[in-house]
Amino acid sequence: MPDLVLGLPLADTNFVDATWIMIVKSLVIFIVILSLVPLLLLGERKLLGRFQQRYGPNRVGPYGLGQPLADVGKLLSKQAFRPKGAVPFLYEIAPALTIISAVLTLAILPFGDVQGDVGFYGIDVPIGILYFFAFSSIAFYGLLLGGWASGSKYSFLGAMRSAAQLISYEIAMGLSLLGVVMMAGSLSLVDIVKAQGEVWYVVPQIVGFLIFLVGGFAETNRPPFDLPEADAELVAGYGTEYGGMRFGSFMFAEYMEMLIVSGIASTMFLGGWMGPGPPGLDPVWMLLKMIVLTIFFIWIRATLPRFRYDQLMSFGWKILLPLATLNVLVTAVLVVVT
Amino acid sequence: MEQVAFFVGAIGALGAAFAVVIVKNPFYSVLALVIHLVFLAGIFLLLMAQFLAAALIVVYAGAVMVLYVFVAAYVGGIEEPKWDSSPELRIVGPILAVALFIAISIAVLGSGLSALGTPGPDDVPAGFGTPEAVGHLMMEDFLIAFEAASLLLLVAAVAAIVLAGRRREDRKKQLTGGEGA
Repeated sequence: MPDLVLGLPLADTNFVDATWIMIVKSLVIFIVILSLVPLLLLGERKLLGRFQQRYGPNRVGPYGLGQPLADVGKLLSKQAFRPKGAVPFLYEIAPALTIISAVLTLAILPFGDVQGDVGFYGIDVPIGILYFFAFSSIAFYGLLLGGWASGSKYSFLGAMRSAAQLISYEIAMGLSLLGVVMMAGSLSLVDIVKAQGEVWYVVPQIVGFLIFLVGGFAETNRPPFDLPEADAELVAGYGTEYGGMRFGSFMFAEYMEMLIVSGIASTMFLGGWMGPGPPGLDPVWMLLKMIVLTIFFIWIRATLPRFRYDQLMSFGWKILLPLATLNVLVTAVLVVVT
Repeated sequence: MEQVAFFVGAIGALGAAFAVVIVKNPFYSVLALVIHLVFLAGIFLLLMAQFLAAALIVVYAGAVMVLYVFVAAYVGGIEEPKWDSSPELRIVGPILAVALFIAISIAVLGSGLSALGTPGPDDVPAGFGTPEAVGHLMMEDFLIAFEAASLLLLVAAVAAIVLAGRRREDRKKQLTGGEGA
């Protein structure tokens, strides 16, 4: 019998807790991740400073810890400005779209198994990883509408680049996860973590892991794949005409997506919540893995220069895609044979 | 609750579908199609077809429509001037449209809508609409149709590449005055 979510027969989910638990869970996940994002911003600037042999922000509060608050305060207090050539409604809704889809994706990240009456995740859907891809494709419309509706050439070019980049890398990314899905025999993220009891999938699926990471960099528009907002040529790409908290929303969504991609990578390849210690520590392990991967993102940003556009395209289509397909083929044969 | 969700989905999907046809700017037309797909996915969810809903969003909204938006944003964006149709077309067009409508109505009335008056199945089997169920259908019951479709798509993709490649060679010949290439 399918479970009912809020009285609706909205698809079946594997485990559903009481409605009030769901609401509390959503709030907890939302607040934790949302407060992680400003810290991440600060951490990135601090780390980048160290990588580049300078201090990074250290004026606001002890060790510069007040910097994110100051930043957000600044962004919030700015005038909500719209350029003359912008398309009214679309210009405003674009940042909201990106941030909403990012927040919605948080729901499927598992931070632990069912303990007592509470599942340590938003929802456990059988379509699992497809949910992630569905919302990341909606997030793309945020970027595209933002770029198109700004009525500026830089924004438009940035949006077009992000469109091309997203299509190219999403395929390789999806294929890279297929190996894991085949080994676990399920799309549900909770089941996939449970299937990694003996060995984390990063060992047998190392190729898939690497492809997913590269694709993740491209999906989140992070350097060295930040062509959509390449500041040397496009000012700030799709975000050029945005100011105040609308710009802040784009930034926020980017960092949240970075956390989500890290979360998906830890779930699919790094054993998710698995780690030594009592089950109560599960969410801590998951968060730790996410943060370590995110720091890896920052490290790469400090290390590698930006790709040229044709390099980006040929790398995606001519190297990553065949490699991912080969990985799927080999995995399929091995899964059937063993 | 279920009815409310259905009507929200249905009105949204129909409204967006009308907008696709009515709106003059091709870019908005494509956007309306995306909105239509999202509402349609919602209706699929109500029908417990979750895999279908996700596939609809990932494949259509996420890939196919991105290409449409891409083209519309590059080429379109300007309002199309009203197209002056020839007098013959003005007569033939509506006739064909009505004929198509009648044909589709017959097909729909003959098949899908026959279940409308009935309460429908009380109990949806567990696991209905999950990727597993759809996968079993595609890989066991309808394997040949599935493979034939994928072969067809492959042929289409190869053909598109060949056609695009040939045009590029022609252009190169023009540029170099018929030599080389």
